[in-house]
Amino acid sequence: MKRAFTSFTLAAVLGLCLPVSAYAQTDGQTDGVQIGEAQTQDELYQAYLREKNSVNTTAAASGQERCITIMSEFPNSGALPRYQFFKLSEDLAVDTTPEFRAALSQFGEGDISDTTPILDVVETIANPVLRQAAPEIVVANMAHIIGFAQDCNVYVTGQLQSLQASDNSLAQDDILIAEDALYLRQILSDSLSRLGGENDLTHGAAIQAYSRSLIVSRDVIEFAGFDNDIDDLEALYLTDLDGRLARSNEIINSEINRETLGDAVQLSKDISNTANQQEKARSVNTLQRILGIGY
Amino acid sequence: MSRYIKPILLQGVALLSLATLATGCASTATGLSQSRLNTISSPQKLTADLPPGTIMAVVRYPAFIDTAAQDKFYDLYGRRTIGGTTSSDDAGVAEVRGIADIMVLKSNYFALSLFKELAERMPEHSVLLSPHAIKLDANGRLTSEPMTQAESLPNIVSVDFAAYTFPDAKRMMEGEPLSFGDIVTPLVTVRTDHRASAATQGVLLTSRPILRGAVANGRQTAAQSMVNIEKGQLDGNVPELDFITFLNNTVPVRVVSQNLTSRPSQNTLSTLPIEKIKLSGEKIRNFNIPSEGITDPLEEKYSAGLANQVVGLVNQMDLKKATMVGHAGAISQFDESLAALTLIGSTDADYQARTKYADRLLEAEQKYLSVQSLRLFDGVYNGELGAQVRDILKAEYDILEKRRALARKQNLSTGLAVLATVAAGAAIASQSGSSRTTLGEQLAINALIQGAIFSGSQAFSYSRRSANIGNNYFASIIPALDEQISVQVDLIDSNETITAIRYEDLSAKLQTLYDEKQRALDVVATRCGYVGSGAQKSGTWMGVCENGLANGAGVGVLRNLDGSAMEYYGYAENGQPQGPGYMIVHGLTGTHTLEGNFQNGQADGVMRVSNPGKSDVTRLYRAGQDVGSAPRGQGVMSPFDNLIVPVSPVAFIPPARVAALAP
Repeated sequence: MKRAFTSFTLAAVLGLCLPVSAYAQTDGQTDGVQIGEAQTQDELYQAYLREKNSVNTTAAASGQERCITIMSEFPNSGALPRYQFFKLSEDLAVDTTPEFRAALSQFGEGDISDTTPILDVVETIANPVLRQAAPEIVVANMAHIIGFAQDCNVYVTGQLQSLQASDNSLAQDDILIAEDALYLRQILSDSLSRLGGENDLTHGAAIQAYSRSLIVSRDVIEFAGFDNDIDDLEALYLTDLDGRLARSNEIINSEINRETLGDAVQLSKDISNTANQQEKARSVNTLQRILGIGY
Repeated sequence: MSRYIKPILLQGVALLSLATLATGCASTATGLSQSRLNTISSPQKLTADLPPGTIMAVVRYPAFIDTAAQDKFYDLYGRRTIGGTTSSDDAGVAEVRGIADIMVLKSNYFALSLFKELAERMPEHSVLLSPHAIKLDANGRLTSEPMTQAESLPNIVSVDFAAYTFPDAKRMMEGEPLSFGDIVTPLVTVRTDHRASAATQGVLLTSRPILRGAVANGRQTAAQSMVNIEKGQLDGNVPELDFITFLNNTVPVRVVSQNLTSRPSQNTLSTLPIEKIKLSGEKIRNFNIPSEGITDPLEEKYSAGLANQVVGLVNQMDLKKATMVGHAGAISQFDESLAALTLIGSTDADYQARTKYADRLLEAEQKYLSVQSLRLFDGVYNGELGAQVRDILKAEYDILEKRRALARKQNLSTGLAVLATVAAGAAIASQSGSSRTTLGEQLAINALIQGAIFSGSQAFSYSRRSANIGNNYFASIIPALDEQISVQVDLIDSNETITAIRYEDLSAKLQTLYDEKQRALDVVATRCGYVGSGAQKSGTWMGVCENGLANGAGVGVLRNLDGSAMEYYGYAENGQPQGPGYMIVHGLTGTHTLEGNFQNGQADGVMRVSNPGKSDVTRLYRAGQDVGSAPRGQGVMSPFDNLIVPVSPVAFIPPARVAALAP
């Protein structure tokens, strides 16, 4: 990703930097006995997923309370920042499979409380020092947001819809938020790479798949940006062109002198009528000659 | 029936026939109530998907005669006639000039009816207007060039339209073609790129009188396209109007044609007879009555049927073949290294990303040009200019109705004269018999004879008056026409000037955006050597090259010593066709195609063969030779059906076959 860390969502985060609170994440711990019984890599992976899913099922039972707790830590300073961070959370969870979440649990370290402000979590992920020195913390923080966005998807969607309903213009910068999300996802992928995740026997495939999905996402988002730019150009030029052509048409049409044509048609009628009368007169004379009248 | 009356009636019929032949029963300028297009074509939904950045249909028409080309155009217009012949003395006279000018004016106006109907049936921004200026080329030959950039984008079909009038106003009431008042005689050609209909030189449907011109134009365009490829260019090949090629009397190649039917044969050009369409007089009378709105009398009689026909043709068309070179040409304007690669395509991620961006640019240009066409339509059709053309049509209609009334009177007078002569003849015949006529009978005969003379005199008089009305009209209206045409050109020019300035600006900005966002291509298209099936032949390849020879996907052209030529779209190795390909062979008398697998430059495998006038067949080829029917169940390997660039073209197996071969 070429773009610098300057877009507005993340810039807002940096502007609101708060101390990072890092706590160990409690879900996703593995039971070595069951997994150790696996004979093949596939069995090992499936066993891992079964265990992971059972943890998630347990977590879902207390999901509502957890979702509300985390959401209460989203910005309350206005509709725009609130929308931006919900949208960012949603975009951060893109392309996240259960297998990949399992990998995050494995490589993330540090507990993030449900009461940690979302701004702190994002700032931690974006912190360049932490990225270098403690990628496992970055992973844990991303896992926190991804977990929230997926497990509390109904609430996140509801929030976004109600915010959009109140102000439709909130969605106009979605592309910028998507770019920020992609940037953070790229950090996650790099962090997992630093932690050797790509070569991990159990989780390597999911991490590599995520890494590949980033390329696709990057293409999609870059194209969306390009498309946006073209849309702007189109709007500018087409509106301008349409106005110019309409004015030009009006000027040219207003210069048309329909009287000239009307005169020509009238002239034609006059000539025809005169010719008609002359021909009639000639015809009568001819008849008179034939019948000998007047001669 | 009395024994006297019967011979009289028989004599009457014979004499009436003779009289009709002798005096020439005046026609009342009749026309068809419907075009054949309306009876053949039924409304249908467009099912073809519009490829990105592609125009579905371009309506082309003569809009302006360049001053330098006027004499040549008027002269040829007077000589190369449709529906009759003129004296060589008539060519270029003032009346012919007026009629030719009216042809241009009417073509301008009625082309908009077709544009409107096509736009209703096709996706937004996918139908453009392309007014042409009639010019002289560098050799002093008549040609036409588009006045806008409408044909710079790939299009699936183009429709040439002209409203023709025979260049002799004295014969306007006869059977000759006419576009005057409520009569319109359209000349039309629907064509696509020759790659999609090689056997017919790209011509799908044409009015029969200009068939030769349309076919010759198709061949010229194909030949020019090959010359461009030899120069390393994929863009810039817009055919002149078919009507101009017809006037130039260019020699065509052989194609097979048939009358338009609801089920046209493959590789066969459909022809329409010359049709004088009679529009609704009521609609013309009500022109420019504000409460009536703007009515289009051509729509129900012709344009809707033609638009339905065009939709049907597009639905049946191979859109990839129809647009691939136009698309590549448009892309080459801002990305030459990508252009030739798009002919066949690739699944390579870089290529996919780049074409997506390029197509988006073409879409922006498409919308831009579409706005121009919509404004042209608006300016002419809905503006004062359109109202003025409708004034002309209304005035013409009045003239025509008067002439019809006079013609009817003339016919009645002629009929009376004949009947009187018959009656007199019968009486004389009777007189020569056994009984003598009475004084009363003699007086009656004299009266009949005098009546016949009177009627004959009246008929002659009506004929003269009728002709004068038309001539007077032309004489008085021609100066006003000049103003009409110049205003119309002002409108197009202004339109073109504004769009050209802004278009350049927009294109520059689009190019900048494109350059900023692009990633590098691993494989780029270049120009290199191409070899046919024999080593002695050499040609040009545009596409993937290696060591100066074709090696991968692209297009190759070469010419044989006998004057024939060949185009090849597909995969190549060491300069020769190798793998799936589509070959177009332009023979001296016609064109045929081969699509399927090639080995060492020769057809080898199951091939789809298209020949003029015949349905496509699949045949089995070995080393370039047809060895019999294709084995049942074996499909044709088309370069356009799969997008995998073969690692080794010799062993190329398309993905579907790989799946079928898998254990």
